[in-house]
Amino acid sequence: MTELSDDLLVAYVDRRLADKQTSALEKVLAQDDVVARRLVTLKDAHRRLETAFEAILAGEEADAADQPIPRAPGLFIARETLVKGGIAATGIVIAAALLFAGYGWPLAAPEFAGRPAAMETVASLPADWRKEVARAQGLLSRASLEIGADSQSNPDFMAFQIGQAIGSKLTPPDLTAQGYRFTRAQILTFDGEPLAQLLYLGQNGAPLALYAKKSGESSQPRVTRHEAITGIAWPQGGVDYFLAGESNEDSLQRLAEAVRSEL
Amino acid sequence: MCYPLDSRECSRVASTQPSGGEGSVQAEDFYDSIRAGLIAMLPRLKRFADLLTGERRAGAGLLGRALRSMLAGEHRYQRGSALDLWAFAEIYQQWLKELRDHAEPTSLDEADDGRFALLFSSGGEEEFDSLTANFLRSLPPQQRLTLLLVYGERFDHIEAGHVLDVTPKTIGARLVRVTASLADQLGECGPVPATAANAR
Repeated sequence: MTELSDDLLVAYVDRRLADKQTSALEKVLAQDDVVARRLVTLKDAHRRLETAFEAILAGEEADAADQPIPRAPGLFIARETLVKGGIAATGIVIAAALLFAGYGWPLAAPEFAGRPAAMETVASLPADWRKEVARAQGLLSRASLEIGADSQSNPDFMAFQIGQAIGSKLTPPDLTAQGYRFTRAQILTFDGEPLAQLLYLGQNGAPLALYAKKSGESSQPRVTRHEAITGIAWPQGGVDYFLAGESNEDSLQRLAEAVRSEL
Repeated sequence: MCYPLDSRECSRVASTQPSGGEGSVQAEDFYDSIRAGLIAMLPRLKRFADLLTGERRAGAGLLGRALRSMLAGEHRYQRGSALDLWAFAEIYQQWLKELRDHAEPTSLDEADDGRFALLFSSGGEEEFDSLTANFLRSLPPQQRLTLLLVYGERFDHIEAGHVLDVTPKTIGARLVRVTASLADQLGECGPVPATAANAR
């Protein structure tokens, strides 16, 4: 009989051994029934524990489903949180919408293509991108796709469409002096209300997006940040605007000033 | 709701700090509240509290007090880090604090047999594993949680150690000791149908 400690066998059951150690252990297992029997018992113990914990969680989830979360004063999702989360997700919809439109961005863009690190991230987090894309898809409406790609890049046509949607005329601001050209605009939806998205591209880097939505309440100008995206929000003429991009805050402030002056 | 709910999401979340907030522009980030994140993981938090206290009612009470503490002191949560790790650690610290304040801390250790068994009642048709339930009930709470965090939550030893404020080595030692102990009990209950072939 070979002497193998429970430490080693538990590590094997937990898949914490290196490949060489695993191979060596499996050779021993093939020849030693006593060790093999101990391993099976440890595996059984492991399985029973996992099953027991799953049973407890199933009970808690059933209880949670039977007891709806109170709106107030208990735990609830504030409307402001939903609004901010939605605005954060609008950045993601750029990729989803362009993919739907057949542009292939960002997968086809040179600066994103062929980067092993990015591919690893996507591959290791399959559940996350589905969740993010599902949330982003909630911002798409029929109006997002009914206007053709050619029309979406026509600033005059889109000014009219946006005016119809949000009730306030919005000609895409000219940011060529700041190094950005208008590429296209589309009508998204948030919380059942139209949300206009105007997209710009600079010489390099990520797109710049200007969002406009009919103002529901007065709000103070503010800077927001979500991972690499910085945003500046402000109300103007009964419309809430939100300018978002990967520029630093100072650059974005200058761009926001340029936008404000054209509105 | 952009904080990572799960410790496994941490690697993709860039650490962002709110900007200065100078002038008339109010600076903030999107990590505006942990409330929604805690709601999303309530069943997991409840399971943790239940196993810690040994019964559902006491678990609910502990979880309620810990949630109030978390919401009142959410500034303690480091934005961008795993919310679940933080929340589990907060519940555990709340339990330790209450244990220290209790007149007879040792009397709280042993979970009641019947009420502990109710933890495994999910309303489904699954067969109740009384041997494992009794085994878990007999363990000190810290050892139960070690098993839960690694085998139930699938945390690695570093993460589990972070929650329970012990070293990863301690987590590993507890796992071996407890799993081997359950295996011993299973071995005493009858022969295990094992061969060298099916061990692999």
